[in-house]
Amino acid sequence: MANELIVNVNGVAKSITAPQSTPLLYVLRNELKLRGPRLGCGMAQCGACAVLVDGQEVRSCVMPVSAVAGKRVVTIEGLPDLWAEQKGLDHSAKRVLHPVQQAWIDEQVPQCGYCQSGMLIAAVQLLARNPDPSVAEIKDAFTNTPPSPHLCRCGTYLAIIDAVRRAARQMRG
Amino acid sequence: MLTRREFAKSTAGVLFVSLGGQAQGTIDQSRLEAWLEIHSDGSIIARTGRGETGTGASAFYAQVVAEELSVRPDAVTLIMGDTDRTPDGGYSAGFLYGAANLRKVAAYAHQKLLELAAEHLQTPSSELSVSDGVVSCAKGKVSYGRLVQGRQLSVTIPLRGVPLRFTPPGKSGVTGLEWDGMEGFTVTGEPRLKPISEYKVVGESYPVPGIPAKVTGETVWACDLALPGMLHARMVRPASLGSTLLAPGSFDKSKFPAAQVVRKANLVAVVSPNEWEAVQAANAVAATTKWSEWSGLPSSDNLTSALRAQEWGAPAASKGSEPEVRLTLAEAARTISASYEQPYIKHAPIGPFVAVADVRPDGTTTVWSQIGHLQASRARIANLLGVPSQKVTVRWLDHAGQFGRKTFGGDGAEADAAILSQITGHPVRVQWSMNEDFAWSAFSPAWFADVKGGLDAAGHLTALHIAFHSPHMLDARPLGAILAGMPSGTVQRGGISDTQWPYDRVKFRLEQAYAMDNLAWASAYGGLRGLIMRTPGQRQLNFVLESLVNEAAAVANADPVQFRLDHTTDPRLIGLTHAVMKTANWEARSSPSKDARRTGSNMAAGRGVSVIVRSNAYWVGLAEISVIPTTGVIRVTKFIVGVECGKIINPRQLDRCIKGGIVMGIGEALKEEVTFDKSKVTSTDWSKYRILTMEETPEITVVAISRDDQGFGTGGEAPNALPPPAIAAALFDATGVYPRRIPMTPDYVKRLLAGEKC
Repeated sequence: MANELIVNVNGVAKSITAPQSTPLLYVLRNELKLRGPRLGCGMAQCGACAVLVDGQEVRSCVMPVSAVAGKRVVTIEGLPDLWAEQKGLDHSAKRVLHPVQQAWIDEQVPQCGYCQSGMLIAAVQLLARNPDPSVAEIKDAFTNTPPSPHLCRCGTYLAIIDAVRRAARQMRG
Repeated sequence: MLTRREFAKSTAGVLFVSLGGQAQGTIDQSRLEAWLEIHSDGSIIARTGRGETGTGASAFYAQVVAEELSVRPDAVTLIMGDTDRTPDGGYSAGFLYGAANLRKVAAYAHQKLLELAAEHLQTPSSELSVSDGVVSCAKGKVSYGRLVQGRQLSVTIPLRGVPLRFTPPGKSGVTGLEWDGMEGFTVTGEPRLKPISEYKVVGESYPVPGIPAKVTGETVWACDLALPGMLHARMVRPASLGSTLLAPGSFDKSKFPAAQVVRKANLVAVVSPNEWEAVQAANAVAATTKWSEWSGLPSSDNLTSALRAQEWGAPAASKGSEPEVRLTLAEAARTISASYEQPYIKHAPIGPFVAVADVRPDGTTTVWSQIGHLQASRARIANLLGVPSQKVTVRWLDHAGQFGRKTFGGDGAEADAAILSQITGHPVRVQWSMNEDFAWSAFSPAWFADVKGGLDAAGHLTALHIAFHSPHMLDARPLGAILAGMPSGTVQRGGISDTQWPYDRVKFRLEQAYAMDNLAWASAYGGLRGLIMRTPGQRQLNFVLESLVNEAAAVANADPVQFRLDHTTDPRLIGLTHAVMKTANWEARSSPSKDARRTGSNMAAGRGVSVIVRSNAYWVGLAEISVIPTTGVIRVTKFIVGVECGKIINPRQLDRCIKGGIVMGIGEALKEEVTFDKSKVTSTDWSKYRILTMEETPEITVVAISRDDQGFGTGGEAPNALPPPAIAAALFDATGVYPRRIPMTPDYVKRLLAGEKC
């Protein structure tokens, strides 16, 4: 029997029964039934599995679940609540999307959309540390932030840049 | 608007959902309701047997149907792909063809609704007008919903086509998927279609319906499906491309108690109810499985010489008059000869193959996956399992963009899943790994081409002879079936030879030889399986053609844009070219640039142009690059792309598709290359198979021209063919040395500029 782990996932404390070495991605998907983070490369090379852990982007395909014990994990499913919390919004009546999500819809970013969960996470982290990034800064963040570039085979990079800038304007108010 | 899945749950009880089919699992597509349902609340269900490929087709279908019926597009809910709930089949890639069917079906329905309205309003249908689903005339108005209340719209849809089927076993005992049915069914007849000039919905940037769910995490992707009792599987692939199984490996049962090894011939898998356990146990099995030694590949360093050593024989397809071109070349004042080449490349989706199959003891089978040809997949699964195709249902779910490798419904994890489900008696989910996908999925084949061009004394290109050689690119046999020694069908030989020629003032002869089997065909599993990839065949050929035109322009000391205009009389190409060059502030001059240089550590700059004409669409691309001769590093600094594809259906989505295509094409031009040693593929992760990153993406300007008088063209597919020849020309402009190979990697460019043979 594996030792019990408590992880805060999208604002709710979850008791995890999976073995400690299980990558976070498999726990999020199979145990917690979240569909945002997805398996891409399984080697932290593409970004499709990215989630926020205590506000920092991590690649959940290579992070053992034991490493996030007691920490706060946010997937795209938790972005609306994260935004509400940051802005002190009461959205119990009507759930408001995170401005990054709304910008992704307004700019019609996804083509196949497979990588976009990771792209949204990278955008949220970028805007948390740089509320008004230039095009060059956005390119740098999505390409040179370790451990790897965020890859999109449909080639949505310019749409992502448009959406990040739109979200940034929105978030700055 | 409902998502597909919500809709599936909610259909019970609504009007017109009974699709009483002729055969189990097949709907009667001669009935209107197989394609289109109009409900009394005004909502509309449209069905297509095709899936979303990531280009936004799901929005375009809704727009096309809404336009013909004069309703709002958000009144239309689309059901895509599922073989038991949709008609027509065919390639998902062919949106235009699929849209043509639904457009006609909607027109037939519209006619019928107008008849009912004319009766209801006691007014001739010629005096009726429709807006937002309400039919009006001087006497009054009535909604579609009211017209269909309590009655079935009885419309027979005229069709042409044959169902996809496997040929009976021949002498070899091998069955093949008949290519005839691949197109799917065509709706025939000539219902009155709304003139394009009256369009209100087509031409607007209607949002793609599936996008909100994709950014909130609600979409059920092919990788998300979980069934009761389902086992997770990981495959243990052979140690080399030709190794056969000597002894399956094992794992420590005390560590992975629920896992088990499943084997059929050379198909080895580990299954477990727990996915991570399956992964770990499969790693242990892979480490201990014994495979035979094999080394029958030439290694990618020797690829071109290996291809050239083949007995190619007579061309399989040709265009243009050989004697006429031979004679014209003989009379030429100057001739140019060049050979161009490209190694194997990959479709390389971000998500590796995944599929779920549930094979019941009586042969009833359901498969869930992202498939580009649902009916072909269904026929293949039935053939594989030896059950009638009526027993097989294939359900479509979203997944990573596949760019052509799913177009014939073969390559993928479906066969693995069906075989494992049949053996274990459980539903099985097979998830390939990235390494496995890079090594074992199909490839866009390598090719080489030898070209000869002739110019007259005035510097006009008079004739071109292109001999293009590539292994077959239609091998859609599923890997699982091949490895398991089960029916996988035959290999369809040949390639795609659909090439349009933009320069009608030049005599040309194109000879295409797809006479070569897969590289290492004689090995146990048939070697590197070749399959089509975005803008298939024409993408490769266009690099050859446009490179030669650029080289000829340089020989003629002519501006490459003016040189093209001088060799065509096509007003659409001429009009688009002028529009793009105006946007670019193009300054006419010949290449190379007067500042061109091939040495030094300072940046040299260049520009290059390319054109493609494909499926009633015209494209012009213009690349601006910088290159550092000492490092060989090319950066594309700007790309301008022009398109004229008749009526543009959805301007924003077209803009997105075009930019994505240019990004893909720049990656192909600069980076993408499959490498292999003598036994296996070695470019098996993203550090070795490199695609374009965001930082490498230049500013891309799109010049899109919509016309009401040219019908519809393929707007989204072809832009990926533009960057390779445009960037090659730009490198020549910057350095004075013409690259005749892609990818133009730093190593290749350095050696090229140093004058090495490469």
